Amino acid sequence: MTVPRFATLGVRRASPRTLMMLLLTALVAVSLVSLLIGAGSVGPGRVLALLSGTQDSEAHFIVWELRAPRTLIGILVGMALGVAGALLQAVARNPLAEPGLLGVSAGAAFAVALALVLGASAATLRISVAQLGALVGCVCVLSVARFRGVGNDPIRLVLAGAAFSGLLASLTSLILLYDQRAADEIRFWVIGSFAGRRLDDLLAVLPSMLVASVVVILIARPLAALALGERVASGLGHHPNLIRWLVVACVALLVGAATAIAGPIAFVGLVVPFVARAFAGPDIRRTLWFCLPIGPLIVLAADIISRVVVAPSELPLGVLTALCGAPVLIAVVRARRLPML
Amino acid sequence: MKTTSIKSTSMPFTHATRAALGGNDPVSPPQGYWRFAWRHQQGANSVLFEQRAVVVNLGLFGALLVASVIYLSLGSVKVAPTTVLKALVGNADMMATFVVQELRLPRLAAACFTGAAFALAGILMQTLARNRLATPGIIGIDNGATAFAVASIVGIGVSIAPPAMALAGATTAAVLTFGLAAGSGTQGYRFIVAGIGVGAVFGAVTQLLLARVAIDTANAAYPWTVGSLNARPSGALQLLMLGLALGLTTALALARSLTLLRFKDATASGLGVNVKRRRLEVLLLSVALTGLAVAVVGPVGMVGLIGPEIARSLSSSRGVPLLAATLAGALVMVLADLAGRTLLTPIEIPVGIVTAVVGGPWLLWILMRPQRSYT
Amino acid sequence: MSVITPAIATARHKSWRFNMVGVLLSALVVSVLGTTTAQARTLDTAYGDVEVKGTPERVVTLYEGALDAAVAAGVKPLGAVTTRGGDNVATYTEAHLGEDRPAIMGVVREINIEAVLAQQPDLILAPAQLSDEQYQLLSHIAPTVVPPTQPLAPDNWKNEARLYGEALNRQAAIAEAIAAVEQRAAEVGQAVEEAGIAGSAFLVRWMPGGPMVMSQNLFATGLLAQAGLDVQDGGLVGERGVHSDVLSLENLSQVDGDWLFLATLNEDGQAALEAAKQSSAFTRLNVVEQERVIPVDGQLWTSANGPLAAQAILDDIEAALLP
Repeated sequence: MTVPRFATLGVRRASPRTLMMLLLTALVAVSLVSLLIGAGSVGPGRVLALLSGTQDSEAHFIVWELRAPRTLIGILVGMALGVAGALLQAVARNPLAEPGLLGVSAGAAFAVALALVLGASAATLRISVAQLGALVGCVCVLSVARFRGVGNDPIRLVLAGAAFSGLLASLTSLILLYDQRAADEIRFWVIGSFAGRRLDDLLAVLPSMLVASVVVILIARPLAALALGERVASGLGHHPNLIRWLVVACVALLVGAATAIAGPIAFVGLVVPFVARAFAGPDIRRTLWFCLPIGPLIVLAADIISRVVVAPSELPLGVLTALCGAPVLIAVVRARRLPML
Repeated sequence: MKTTSIKSTSMPFTHATRAALGGNDPVSPPQGYWRFAWRHQQGANSVLFEQRAVVVNLGLFGALLVASVIYLSLGSVKVAPTTVLKALVGNADMMATFVVQELRLPRLAAACFTGAAFALAGILMQTLARNRLATPGIIGIDNGATAFAVASIVGIGVSIAPPAMALAGATTAAVLTFGLAAGSGTQGYRFIVAGIGVGAVFGAVTQLLLARVAIDTANAAYPWTVGSLNARPSGALQLLMLGLALGLTTALALARSLTLLRFKDATASGLGVNVKRRRLEVLLLSVALTGLAVAVVGPVGMVGLIGPEIARSLSSSRGVPLLAATLAGALVMVLADLAGRTLLTPIEIPVGIVTAVVGGPWLLWILMRPQRSYT
Repeated sequence: MSVITPAIATARHKSWRFNMVGVLLSALVVSVLGTTTAQARTLDTAYGDVEVKGTPERVVTLYEGALDAAVAAGVKPLGAVTTRGGDNVATYTEAHLGEDRPAIMGVVREINIEAVLAQQPDLILAPAQLSDEQYQLLSHIAPTVVPPTQPLAPDNWKNEARLYGEALNRQAAIAEAIAAVEQRAAEVGQAVEEAGIAGSAFLVRWMPGGPMVMSQNLFATGLLAQAGLDVQDGGLVGERGVHSDVLSLENLSQVDGDWLFLATLNEDGQAALEAAKQSSAFTRLNVVEQERVIPVDGQLWTSANGPLAAQAILDDIEAALLP
């Protein structure tokens, strides 16, 4: 077990409690900014006036009907993607395991294309379709790549994911060849965004998020034991295979829910655990806790940027995270020592 | 008495022995090899051919020929195989000659050469990465080419023809990956992961471009996003043919050190390979071949996995089956495009989709098998 | 884009071109002998001057606008590409085609050149987006007419239809069809004015993240303008663009005019309207509260092109505005 020395960023001197408080404060601040800033004409001044009691129906609508749900969705999606990334990296013992790289997004896109062809419209698409696709995609890749032996070969999982994503992307293309209408609509789905997502959408995926949360709480301790090695975990009375499959199920549920709401959002699941480990050190339980504020922080910050850079339209969030996340991915592999988990 | 020195040669599956002057005892070849010997004024030479490699390569070549004739005869317009041969020499009726010479022959050539280039690039990359799943496409070259070609079609930036832009995109992606992985060497997964990052950026750019234009423009860009052999640019094809000829020669010349690159670096160094330099050469070769092929056909990365896999399953594990992989890649591409053209007439399925739909499940099966060592 | 004049064939293709042209010409002469004198017309296409002789009978259309123009001119094409979202030609053309359905030449994304050849056409009407390589092959089969790319304008379809009509040697029929559309549009405009209907209008496509505003320079928006509505795009669509990026829901008030035409690619426009109404940002628009949102067929309104499509759109406008 090696400690990721490069990843400390000098922040480990502070106590975890202080760090957590700092992060939570930052999250509150970013959430506020998310309410204040948008692509529209209602700027921070009007919002602050509204919050201090001024009557302003336009600002009231935009803040409470548009920006507040969007912020809430951003927080939950950030948590889901961050925790899913941390879990996946822990169980695959691979710092490069990222839900987006593993065919989850491709699975969801395929399911959406299939649904569009079968007559749905992007405007009326049921959120469960994307979630189902993401689940199937995730389970496929993970069972194909299988965890045993992966620890020795971090790239195998990544390559398997890339190959699988390629396959699904081609199947999607085949469908789109026949169906121009679906082709026309899916162009707008595959770039991922929070715009126009409603609280109802969130309610539709909330159950799977809750189930996953409960399971994560239950398996955190066995997972930490598993990090010490298979024999140690068995010796402590845990069942390594059962743990792995529960983790896979959780990841699939969490990523499926996030993808269903927001479309494919790349690299968040990679970056968040990376930062969280810098704060928390190697302990998986502590890392998971730190993912909870860090995930929403990163997602909300990206979402705020996506709203303002091309106003009055919005830059799709998925594109933004890909553009910003890829450099982080490269930074991770350029680091002198790749942390073995 | 005879003194025999063994020299490495540039052939992939041969070991030449130069017998000393006057040594005229027949030398019996090792088991599984054919020995051809000849004498000349300076002495005598002999060449050893691995029987299995010869059979495999000839078999693949024969299969490619047969597939080509079928390819030229089937389609929306049927041409009998005998008429195909006549049409090739210009002896058939107008229609058949036009179909064979103008429509199908250039397409067949494009299929053969792109398939060969993808597969050769693939097996080079796999040898380098010591992983059967590595292809140049995975390090972002395909995505780079697609993004640039799509940008050219949707009218962003200068109005350079899409094939030239595809080549420029492949080069840009490769340069970026090399640059970003610099310092960590070209070995192993750091390089590949840097490539995946580069590929992800280009993929996002492509999607953004496609979402911002009208569907008619998005349609025009479609072949560059899936890989298609329908009406391909002839200039890019000629460039690819030249590149493939050079690339294949170079690869065969590097065959012996490639065989050694499969081992650990220390082992390869010990056996006299300048590992670092050889890696860079092989990598550049692989990237160049892929770039040239992508400029013709668009992203059909799956062939870079399927071709080498077929070659490996047919060949012995003595060397890296470069020639067999090249032939298998061409064969796969020809058969895939034949299927795409004929299965659902009058609708044609782009070759990139056929290779993925057929190759994908097969690939998954390979992945699910218990992991063997690289060879 | 490099412009290649078919008359100057590359050396490799030269003998071929002449042979094929010879064959086609002799076939043509036989087919039209005694009906029309074979007069040669030189057409100004995207790939330079293309010469067409006589009245082509065997026509293949590789573009929905070309199919529309050909059918409007009284030609039943032998082959056509499928429309978007279907495995056959567009619904609105079917009534005009009767039993003579064209053979399918593939999809617009992947044109099956051999299928075109199998029809042995004497004229190919192609879309403006045809790639250089495809043109090289198709122009060996028959004279291929590719309309020059024009800056986006509502009347582009007229120029395209005239070009196709000239290629078909049915200039009069096309002129008549265009005049009929103009007259009909004027009549609808008159009736709309008499009914006291006016005001601003937007044509949008509804996406889950918000609407895409369609350009005011489109075919359908041009017809809306002729019908007397003040069509706008809120300055959101760039010079070249056909539609804007998906507009932020925060800025939805920018499309809050007097009328909102909601194009959907779904068969059930009402369902799409219901979907849009799930968004509170949409329902609070004035135009929605006044129930002046009109769902229209996106296939017809945002992608079709030609005299027949124009008539169909005018039908829609009439039905929506003049109950």
